[in-house]
Amino acid sequence: MGTSSDRSLDGVAPEPLALVARVGSALRLAAVDRQAVEQGLAAGMTLADARARCPTLVTRPADPVADAQALDHLLEAMRHFTPMVALDAPNGLILDISGCSHLFGGPKALAQQARAIAGYASRHAFGPNAMAARALARHGGSGGDVAALPVAALELDDGGLAALRRAGLRSIGDLAQRPMGMIAARFGEQAVTRLRQILGEAPSPIAPRRPSAPIRAEARFPEPIARTEDVMDVIEDLLDQAARQMEARKLGGRRFVIRLLRSDGARQGLAIETGQPVRDPAAVLRLLRERIDTMADPLDPGFGFDAVLLAVPRVEPLAERQQAMDGEAQAAEEGIVALVDRLGIRLGPDNVRRLQPCDRHLPEGAQRLLPATQSRQQLWPTEEDRPPRPLLLFDPPQPVAVIAGVPDGPPQRFRWRDRLHEVRLAEGPERIAAEWWRRRAGHQPGGAGKTRDYYRIEDSDGRRYWMFRHGLFGEETEIRWYLHGLFA
Amino acid sequence: MTANGPISSARPAGRHAPEAQASCPALEQGHLHEIHSQAEDRAAALAFALTQGPLAGAGAIFALRTPRRQRLPTLFSGDGLALLGIQPGRLTIVETRTEVDMLRAGLEAARCPGVVAVLMESEGRFVDYDLTASRRLVLAAEASGACILLLRGDAEPRSSGAQTRWTIKSAPSVALEADAPGWPAIEAELLRCRGGLAGGRWRLTWDNEGGCFRDADGQAPLPGAVVPFSRLRTDAGDDGDEQRQVA
Repeated sequence: MGTSSDRSLDGVAPEPLALVARVGSALRLAAVDRQAVEQGLAAGMTLADARARCPTLVTRPADPVADAQALDHLLEAMRHFTPMVALDAPNGLILDISGCSHLFGGPKALAQQARAIAGYASRHAFGPNAMAARALARHGGSGGDVAALPVAALELDDGGLAALRRAGLRSIGDLAQRPMGMIAARFGEQAVTRLRQILGEAPSPIAPRRPSAPIRAEARFPEPIARTEDVMDVIEDLLDQAARQMEARKLGGRRFVIRLLRSDGARQGLAIETGQPVRDPAAVLRLLRERIDTMADPLDPGFGFDAVLLAVPRVEPLAERQQAMDGEAQAAEEGIVALVDRLGIRLGPDNVRRLQPCDRHLPEGAQRLLPATQSRQQLWPTEEDRPPRPLLLFDPPQPVAVIAGVPDGPPQRFRWRDRLHEVRLAEGPERIAAEWWRRRAGHQPGGAGKTRDYYRIEDSDGRRYWMFRHGLFGEETEIRWYLHGLFA
Repeated sequence: MTANGPISSARPAGRHAPEAQASCPALEQGHLHEIHSQAEDRAAALAFALTQGPLAGAGAIFALRTPRRQRLPTLFSGDGLALLGIQPGRLTIVETRTEVDMLRAGLEAARCPGVVAVLMESEGRFVDYDLTASRRLVLAAEASGACILLLRGDAEPRSSGAQTRWTIKSAPSVALEADAPGWPAIEAELLRCRGGLAGGRWRLTWDNEGGCFRDADGQAPLPGAVVPFSRLRTDAGDDGDEQRQVA
């Protein structure tokens, strides 16, 4: 049975609806709903033509990724009817309902339920094999007769179809009466293959997507256990089982969840996350111990635990790696990843961070601190002809009281933390404008925020500071100065 | 550990420590080094720590700090690090709630293979850093070969197991054209050197082409605390040295 769904919602919308996508330099309709079809619109038409025919057309941009996701969800939903569900590209599903239909009251009732679950306007058809079902769903009329299908059901390219029509062959039935050798010679081998598949003479297998079994392990005890060490031993055993499951599927876990069921019905949970996929039980156990150490109330066994369940809800591919010749460097890298994981669990992932460059204009926005497990190693962008930047930045900038010689000039002395600093050397200004393109009214006068004039200064003690004047003279009534960094 | 030799020979003759770099001893790997400074000179102390040690090459650096203890709220600037020749991606910044947590995390990082340096920033008294704690750090550093740098801002020197103890101050730079502040300049004083002679003072300026600190041009080690010449060389009976020592 094939269910082919198009994307229009069940005729609630009073106006015809179409999804548009940019093809080349023109906007074309990617999909149309039932009302649009009634108005004579079809997928592939340019938007201008469609608007000329149907001025009330409502359009939305097409989103193929979201469509694929929705189809995936539908596929999962169809598992309700049969375990053999396959994707029928681009927008259909094929359900193998051999031996399943009687459970739902026959094929017709099953199809009705499936369409109700899908919720979209859809077409469906039954066929003795997958290709026939597909052809009937997409090109068939009311009957289930394969021979009456138009030759378009072969889904050949435009040239092939035109050749078939020129030869006076309009339906599959016409074509089936001709000798296969002649068809192959004139219209290509593909035409014969498709024809034989639709007629059921050649197999048309489907590749059903099978649900991947979750990775889990559990242990149940005849007598409750209470000692933490015993529990850890059991967890190690479970991790071993999970590691074997993951090894067979070339996976590694990013998240491990332990549930401890107490004999009085209370449940306790433990969860850890790792920066890299792992399956080594010893490494995971070390992280779990770290987690138990940081918990406010340690494992409370009460009258003992009845069962321990382990689940690995987040997995990622982890291939078995061959030890490189420079095994030492690899070991060092793994050691650092493990250290970051350990510190992240003990101190919180937001306290173990790395600097990442950001493509921003303002100095404080040009970098951000990301948790080390999420950060990517990348080269820091350097700009050659830019005044140097300080080693330490104040966050937030420190307000200072400044005396400048001329209103627009560099500071002459400033007071910071109750100490007066005489400026010996100064360089500047380096003008950094506010990021007006990030503000709503940034393009209008005064809406962009204040411009900063940065000065590199050295005081009489030989300390070098990065200082900026917030706002321009003449534009602001009160000019403030801030220290923004310390140079070496 | 080095024997009681002259400081200059204790310097590793690796490619990151060419002879022309600076006459002050480099921060050796596998040891604990204390760097004292005032809070305002923290950038200078950091620059010294980041460039004088084995950090200048490659490898992971763990920078640990206790933000609650710091009076000046500062962040590392990636651009500033890159100017000192340190790729900011090598730096993992760890922030802890208490100083004990910081010591513990630092100890763990020092024991980890692959970590080149552990940089701990503290400010104020740092009560938890005592002889035992410092000895633990020293043992971890010796075992793994990592370099542990402890920056102490606004603090009194305290006896510890550190290999060297420095005081770093910002120094007036040599002005560039149009009275612009010049390249970073610092004044380093070696307060203590285990197995060597302490008391030297150096004025260092940043050499942007070489990417390292060098002795300030035309300036011998600063007058002040006397720089004693190494005993070994006097024993060798070099006349010139002897004369100078007499003088």
